Amino acid sequence: MARDPGTCPRGPTPGRAVPTGFLRPRASPRVWGPGLAARAAQRDKQEPVIAVPSGRPGSGSAESARPSILPSFFTDCIKPMKVEKKLGRGVAKIHIEDDGTYFQDGGTRKLERAKISLDDCLACSGCVTSAETVLITQQSHEELRKILDANKTAAPGQQKLVVISVSPQSSASLAARFQLNPTDTAKKLTAFFKKLGAHYVFDTAFSRNFSLLESQREFVRRFREQASSKQALPMLASACPGWICYAEKTHGSAIIPYISTAKSPQQVMGSLVKDFFAQQQHVTPDKIHHVTVMPCYDKKLEASRPDFFSQEHQTRDVDCVITTGEVFKLLEEEGVSLSELEPAPLDSVFSSVSVQEPTSHRGGGSGGYLEHVFRHAAQELFGIHVDEVTYKPLRNKDFQEVTLESEGRVLLHFAAAYGFRNIQNLVQKLKRGRCPYHYVEVMACPSGCLNGGGQLKAPEMPGKELLQHVERLYSMVRTEAPEDVPGVQELYEHWLHGKDSERASCLLHTSYHAVEKASSGLSIRW
Amino acid sequence: MKDSLVLLGRVPAHPDSRCWFLAWNPTGTLLASCGGDRRVRIWGTEGDNWICKSVLSEGHQRTVRKVAWSPCGNYLASASFDATTCIWKKNQDDFECVTTLEGHENEVKSVAWAPSGNLLATCSRDKSVWVWEVDEEDEYECVSVLNSHTQDVKHVVWHPSQEMLASASYDDTVKLYREEEDDWVCCATLEGHESTVWSLAFDPSGQRLASCSDDRTVRIWRQYLPGNEQGVACSGSDPSWKCICTLSGFHSRTIYDIAWCSLTGALATACGDDAIRVFEEDPGSDPQQPTFSLTAHLPQAHSQDVNCVAWNPKERGLLASCSDDGEMAFWKYQRLEGL
Repeated sequence: MARDPGTCPRGPTPGRAVPTGFLRPRASPRVWGPGLAARAAQRDKQEPVIAVPSGRPGSGSAESARPSILPSFFTDCIKPMKVEKKLGRGVAKIHIEDDGTYFQDGGTRKLERAKISLDDCLACSGCVTSAETVLITQQSHEELRKILDANKTAAPGQQKLVVISVSPQSSASLAARFQLNPTDTAKKLTAFFKKLGAHYVFDTAFSRNFSLLESQREFVRRFREQASSKQALPMLASACPGWICYAEKTHGSAIIPYISTAKSPQQVMGSLVKDFFAQQQHVTPDKIHHVTVMPCYDKKLEASRPDFFSQEHQTRDVDCVITTGEVFKLLEEEGVSLSELEPAPLDSVFSSVSVQEPTSHRGGGSGGYLEHVFRHAAQELFGIHVDEVTYKPLRNKDFQEVTLESEGRVLLHFAAAYGFRNIQNLVQKLKRGRCPYHYVEVMACPSGCLNGGGQLKAPEMPGKELLQHVERLYSMVRTEAPEDVPGVQELYEHWLHGKDSERASCLLHTSYHAVEKASSGLSIRW
Repeated sequence: MKDSLVLLGRVPAHPDSRCWFLAWNPTGTLLASCGGDRRVRIWGTEGDNWICKSVLSEGHQRTVRKVAWSPCGNYLASASFDATTCIWKKNQDDFECVTTLEGHENEVKSVAWAPSGNLLATCSRDKSVWVWEVDEEDEYECVSVLNSHTQDVKHVVWHPSQEMLASASYDDTVKLYREEEDDWVCCATLEGHESTVWSLAFDPSGQRLASCSDDRTVRIWRQYLPGNEQGVACSGSDPSWKCICTLSGFHSRTIYDIAWCSLTGALATACGDDAIRVFEEDPGSDPQQPTFSLTAHLPQAHSQDVNCVAWNPKERGLLASCSDDGEMAFWKYQRLEGL
């Protein structure tokens, strides 16, 4: 299902086209330079390649006249790169080794791969479709190792406090792989990370409590504002960065007002760790290296959003995101099987609470937003207590409806829309003013986060079967209502100074930004 | 062989522009043309002449690349470089744009209606193929987004009787898709062409598929079902496709379009060398290894690249073609007896 992160712009990404679970974050149309615009102007016909100034990756190549030296599956990153120009003997002949390294001048000079960092990436989908294929040197398990290694030799005052927050979906995926139950998985993962040098290991199911509670309250507020505000409803879930990137880049201000402002569990944890926990530990936020373990690559993009960078402390709320797959690589590199490790006690963000086992939430493997918002709204707005939420699948299994009826009237009409095709239909309806829902839980990946692109695969098991296995393990974890989870109320009081406070609004909510459409090369007349 | 293809007339369909594509309506009485002037024109006969009955000009911001009639003949879809597909409803001589399908990231290259009339397929330079479903209220919903190709997808065509879709791409392959549970999946990839595959045409029975390419060949592919007599291996329940014939050495440039006549079985090609060619299967040739002969070759059919050839579905031998020179031409094809 997922693509391995390849190199942007020209990595040895295999030429297979694998259907991904993600939305391709759709950016504004490319910014074209003169050479590339000539190609844009060529329409359908194969016209002679226009010579393009060097230093621009993707110049006059794959898309146009199919030069024999470059395979046709390369597409271009249009981000201009600074490249060292070396005087050559005329036309450079480049050939590619079997391992994907590039050699020039008959094998004498190995070419350096152009690298792009996540911050540079426009997520324009100009390269091999999705942002996760961007080489993320700042966000990989190698980077984590570097920090941990540096810690070993650093002077006491220079050491970083390493905190790892693991998502329940990643945990379930590892549990399936190593045939462990969720509790053992969490404890052994804790042991593993601490063995590597991490100081604390948390569960993002804890920060998810806040995401759910804030979503619930925001919905009730917006429902009550319906009459006076045209864009109060529908409210669209905000936890999925694949969805957010797509919405910002392709639909901008047409859709942004509908998206919930509640932060995702990853980013709430970022605030918790870099604000609350830092204070508790008596360190400045920049002294903490916060790593999260996530089921997808789009979470890496989320972590690098400027909104989640503290100017004051010059630090990101989440410094690094690694996928479940990358954790597996770490285990392999250490020559460790998770099942062999001795379990370690679980850490808790709120230190006066001791955690014996992980807890989770009802409503499916993507967080349970629809379920929680629905039940809370039914109670708050209509005084109706809902026990079991009944999901009705519509045109496909990734599109489900939930309705609250009373005396023949529909009071609440919610939906869950997973996967690009369903999001397309939702957005088109919304833009035409024909969306019948009050709330939609939107997720980029078909089947949701448990099926994210960074999850582990089992070569011997068909994907469907593996997913069912992961889902079963995920749902084994005991669920708890967010407001009842120990530590949550206390944090609202002592850390945020109240549920409706400015601190709560600032630390638990975020905002979105329409990406300015650069004038399309398609419309410029050269 | 020049006599086998007789010019009936030329029409400047999209003056000062390219004429990109032509489509006959199911009854063969109307011809839709589209071009670089962003317009779609509907042509009909009045006596011996072809006259323009409607101009659809408010639909698109950029070149219209392909047009396709619905099986009932009441709707026309137009695919444009402006990344949208317009659906026009016919009301006698008027056409009204009833909906615009959005979602592709960039130029839409082709559109095709399924024989059932409920499904529509579009494909784009964004490498994807989309399947849309239309309900009784003329509401269109995206049913599937298929990302199997690795490059620009040039053409989509539906199987004449099964709910199966074929696509042709700049990645040199042809892919076939079918519905599986609640989604569409790619069930076969046809490899063999050495360059962009520009167009596709199923034979009247749907057992064979013709593809034409920038590699200047036409390939004929045959479907083999699981358990077939010829012993062609199939994986699981999906049919296999084998290339059973390659027509090479006939075209001197890229072949942009191919059309398989449902009445006569003749294959027409549109070529970048400005010529139109017609091929027919040799009588008595082995169905598993058929041979085709060139029965008509008209150099300079147009003054520039021929972009499209289209057989009239009702009138035997009536062929329409169009070109970068903006013109549309009509031809009468007939096999000369005794040769």
